[in-house]
Amino acid sequence: MRRQAGSMLRPVAALLVIALLVASCGGDNETITIYSGRTENLIGPLLEEFADTTGVDVEVRYGQSADLALLISQEGERSPADVFISQSPGAVGFLAGEGLLRPLGDQVLSLVDPRFRNDDGLWVGMSGRVRVIVYNPELIDPEDLPESVFDLTDERFRGQVAVAPSNGSFQDFVTAMSEVHGETGTLEWLRGLVDNDAQTYANNTSIVQAVGRGDVPLGLVNHYYNYRAKAEDPEVLSENYFFPDADIGSLMIVTALGVITTTDTPDLADKFAEFMLGEEAQRFFSEQTFEYPLAGGIEPSGELPPLSGIDVATYDFDGLGGGLERTRELIDESGLEGS
Amino acid sequence: MRAALKVREPNLTPTTASPPRTGRLQLAIVLIGLAFLFPAGYLLWGTLTVGGDFWGSLVSARTLRPLANSLLIATSTAAACAVLGTVLAWIAVRTDLPGRRLWRVVFPLPLVIPSFVGATAVLSAFGSGGLIEFVPRLEGFWGAFVVLTLLSYPYVYLPVAARLSSTSASIEEASRLLGSRPVRTVFRIVLPQAREAIIAGTLLVFLYGLSDFGAVSLMRFDTITRAIFSARLFDRATALTLGLLLAILALVVAAVVRVLSLGTKTQSAETKPLQYPLGAATIPTVGLVVGVISLALVTPVSVFLFWTLRGSTTVGVGFSGIGDGLGFLIEPLLNSLLAATVAGAAAVLVVLPVAYASAKRRNRLSETVSTVISSVFAIPGLVVALAVVFWAIQAPDLLAGVYQTFPLLIFAYVLHFGAQSMGASQAAIAAIPSRLDEAAKVLGADSRRRFLTIDLPLIFPGLVAGGGLVLLSTLKELPATLLLAPTGFSTLATRIWGAAEDGFFAEVGVTSLILVVLSGVLTWLLILRRGQAP
Repeated sequence: MRRQAGSMLRPVAALLVIALLVASCGGDNETITIYSGRTENLIGPLLEEFADTTGVDVEVRYGQSADLALLISQEGERSPADVFISQSPGAVGFLAGEGLLRPLGDQVLSLVDPRFRNDDGLWVGMSGRVRVIVYNPELIDPEDLPESVFDLTDERFRGQVAVAPSNGSFQDFVTAMSEVHGETGTLEWLRGLVDNDAQTYANNTSIVQAVGRGDVPLGLVNHYYNYRAKAEDPEVLSENYFFPDADIGSLMIVTALGVITTTDTPDLADKFAEFMLGEEAQRFFSEQTFEYPLAGGIEPSGELPPLSGIDVATYDFDGLGGGLERTRELIDESGLEGS
Repeated sequence: MRAALKVREPNLTPTTASPPRTGRLQLAIVLIGLAFLFPAGYLLWGTLTVGGDFWGSLVSARTLRPLANSLLIATSTAAACAVLGTVLAWIAVRTDLPGRRLWRVVFPLPLVIPSFVGATAVLSAFGSGGLIEFVPRLEGFWGAFVVLTLLSYPYVYLPVAARLSSTSASIEEASRLLGSRPVRTVFRIVLPQAREAIIAGTLLVFLYGLSDFGAVSLMRFDTITRAIFSARLFDRATALTLGLLLAILALVVAAVVRVLSLGTKTQSAETKPLQYPLGAATIPTVGLVVGVISLALVTPVSVFLFWTLRGSTTVGVGFSGIGDGLGFLIEPLLNSLLAATVAGAAAVLVVLPVAYASAKRRNRLSETVSTVISSVFAIPGLVVALAVVFWAIQAPDLLAGVYQTFPLLIFAYVLHFGAQSMGASQAAIAAIPSRLDEAAKVLGADSRRRFLTIDLPLIFPGLVAGGGLVLLSTLKELPATLLLAPTGFSTLATRIWGAAEDGFFAEVGVTSLILVVLSGVLTWLLILRRGQAP
């Protein structure tokens, strides 16, 4: 038995040695550490490209934007992160509010429309996603889809609307609605959804799947997810619908990039930000991930309705740092979560 | 006959022969206990400094309903897993079930499927628009219950199987010779013998049910973990307070269960365990086993295959088919293998002193520490990971280099999953026949020698079962891996998460298939071949 215990430890010890060898490898190149709320499929190729063209070692940690923002705030002075990439303005706004982001260089800021970046230059948008209705044409006639997101509290949509209240994009959208249409109206809308038996889901992907399966006729998500669903299964029964007339329901939400105050390579971080706003990266967002490019004069992919044709609502997400705390309270107060 | 089972506990006050060793053991237990208090300490400190309103949150209607739901799902899953895990363990170890060597590899595998993937697979499998339309869609409580039961019964199965494989057959033989029917023997003799293992495994399922977020959120069943997750960034006071509430609840339940599990001591095998011929019951038994595995393993695996093949025809970023090759998964596979085996072994070693002292001596210190270790398992993984970050960041400069290194990652795994090796080890240690120990003592063997020559061989299957649980849990672990692994260290589980996050289902499918195969190989190599000699 002792022999047996020993022989079990041997492979473990061997693996440990290998791990230490692997860990100790590494060159003397300049290194940039990125905490990325965008998953590897949606940004990995660009990071490799940046590493190849600059000779910089790119170290990346993937995770949910909110978790990584929490991590950076907990790491404080000791954060190894140089750059934070967020799926939505909320998490980056949280770090801005905590004073953990350092202003980007002017040459970086000049690349992006002021609507899609922070006024103090603490973060820039990289790509855009538009809030849409995803619907199942077998369950609802496209003609019957509402003119405004506010109509979803109508009796005719009782039990038919899927939302993901704990999702970052939904919360960003509620924040914008609250800024544009007032807190009272927003709370009333949220309560209206509850009274109208809106169906709550865990996230965007599960809403698109549920609509595709026919569990629920329509849901509020970002436009991007249905393109993914179609890429996996071209036959899937789910379609995007953009609200007309710059309705707040068709809000453009940006994915964002900020530089952490503790970085020891601010110039490299700026260079990285410039790369992400450059032609190549913006083309990647347009053609590979079906998002709306925000810089470099790149047009959206032919697969997407052009921005000029869909009347996207925009909103200056600067106020998000504090705004989201209030949004959470509103959602909590309405009882939408867990309903 | 039953009287023979009740081996009276001799007075096991520490032997006077080796007081320094006992002192060192006590010190080790105190240090281990302090380490396992990290998550609760972080939650307490956070609640106090961020200004969480503990009592206010506790009685708020927005807490009570999800809390009641958490208790409901944890209790019901624990009960279902207690039955399912015990029945499967008995069938696998004690009957002549055809193909049982294969079944023993297959039974523990559902544990390795991350709950959010399992839930997504079940949603895609059944109901209208699913792969099998005539089975109704599972959602809400029933959806979460079915998914968590099918994925968590191995918490009971592995320790009970280990226990049954090392239980003396002579008593059962005697019972049967005296005319008891097999079923009666099972209830009167076998169940009491495996009692500690069953209780330990059931407690693990309960604690896991409290901590799960993936399955309940996708099944749209509102629990306290949802409240914690959705408050984590913009309402930290609430998130920390609710986390603390969960930790306290787990402590109380673990303590009560520990008290309940005190009782008759049982014996380990000195002979080969008895095997029952199934006879006419063979076909129903095979039917049961096939049914369970069809739901728990064949269903998710079929969905993974379906996703893999369906997505293979499309183009775009990410995985676009087997044709592209699977080379991108080699590094995550090796990382998973490394992290899981090291974590499994480390958890057994770290927890062993506490398990040993609490099962053999039952003193207050070791009992308290063992309860603390158990309770950590109920705390959501993200909170455990953030707690480790918190303490590592506070650490003096000397230790700053430890942050986001492999050893710290292993430390986090051991903190979170130590409960799993604790339960199985305690059950095994409690079953050591004390007369052997006594005899060895009389013959002059010191405590070290007695441990190595008598105790260790007898408890080895239990230790391996506990280590195996930790291994399989680590293979699917996400939050600690994402936050604490060395930057750039990806595992199969983190790849699955990343792909699922943005709806890359073909990649989720193929990576999950590889995860299941890897677990099968590891279960066979490390858990079965080392643990219970068939």
